[in-house]
Amino acid sequence: MFADELKTLRRLGVRHVLLQILNFVSVLASGLMIWKGLGLITNTESPIVVVLSGSMEPAFYRGDLLFLTNLPDQRYRTGDITVYKIPGADIPIVHRVLETHDFVSDKNGRVAASPLLEKQLLLTKGDNNHIDDIELYQGLDWLERKHIVGTVRGFLPYVGYVTIAMNDFPQLKYALLGGLGLLALIQRE
Amino acid sequence: MAPRTRKAAAREPDGLSPPAVPPKENTSAVVDVDALLAPIPGEEREEVRVNNASVTDMKHACDDALKRFLSRPDLFKQIYTHTDVRLALGWLSVLVAGATGLYGWKVPFEQSKPGAWAGVITYVMLTIVQTLYAYFIEGDIVFVGKRKTFDKRIVTERITITSRTTPSTPQSPPRYALGVVYVRSASGGKTLLGKGRANEEQSYTEFFDERGVMDQERFERWVGSVVGRVMDGKVQ
Repeated sequence: MFADELKTLRRLGVRHVLLQILNFVSVLASGLMIWKGLGLITNTESPIVVVLSGSMEPAFYRGDLLFLTNLPDQRYRTGDITVYKIPGADIPIVHRVLETHDFVSDKNGRVAASPLLEKQLLLTKGDNNHIDDIELYQGLDWLERKHIVGTVRGFLPYVGYVTIAMNDFPQLKYALLGGLGLLALIQRE
Repeated sequence: MAPRTRKAAAREPDGLSPPAVPPKENTSAVVDVDALLAPIPGEEREEVRVNNASVTDMKHACDDALKRFLSRPDLFKQIYTHTDVRLALGWLSVLVAGATGLYGWKVPFEQSKPGAWAGVITYVMLTIVQTLYAYFIEGDIVFVGKRKTFDKRIVTERITITSRTTPSTPQSPPRYALGVVYVRSASGGKTLLGKGRANEEQSYTEFFDERGVMDQERFERWVGSVVGRVMDGKVQ
């Protein structure tokens, strides 16, 4: 099936094969670096996430793509939609902030001047749930800043289904990657 | 007996006999290069077949045929500097990207931020360097070759070949534009013996038939004539 291409590759030598492999690998590398760069700019480890459950309907449906930021100089307010991760649970959850409390600590009789330096405690609830998230917190009473992955700034509907499909059917992921690899090795720029 | 003319060389199946003696009258260094530049008749060639609707495929086929032709044993030896630089920069940036990815995966996000910044910025710098190199320094060059012959002194010849595609117009098919820059020097490059340049184009229809099979002999003859003309050029 690929006899012509294999003949060409053998004729062209080592350097050419290395160049072709480089073409493919550098596409992956640039994708990875764009992801990492985006994460660093938005200050969150996962700047784009996919909604997996229906707990935020009618705002977000399963399969929506969400864009997150986690700017260090902004406080969380009631009504913000945040994505958080409880240590011990793998899956991040996207719910709305219901209550915020500022925990003013009194160290050595002094209180910090900037409100940002104080701890914020949060309580969240999904729009489509009947009760708040206390049971999801695995023993914690409040969420803290360090549990929050980011705040939702924008979304794209339906696009996330590609990721859901690739997670549910890993063969699809490998087939796509294999197909891309073959194409990159055979094409010449 | 070594062939003295191109016709004689063509009659002999082994066209790669050593350069003929005596040399041509005008220069002492150009030793029967015409015989070497003639395509070897009856040479076993693998059929090259490309999609003749794709101009990039045809250009690549022509470039490859050119490299094969000029890299023959008594002709030029290809210098791989541009390719090696491209490979080195490319693989280095891939390794940097991989290392940054791995680091970000192993170490928790807050801690990994300085390292991740370093990795991303290094990657962007390397990509910029690659792009600038390819655009300014490499340009359209497809082949750089060197040739050393000994004739009373060591003569070094260096040839640089660029190729472009001239897009088609409603009146004419797409054309393959060949550019040749040639320098001949002695004593380690200090004495310039001659130089020449040429720019010629031929339409792709001269070399590819309706099935997409490439007429390599015809292509080689054309390239041989252009290069031969440049190499026979003025001598100082």
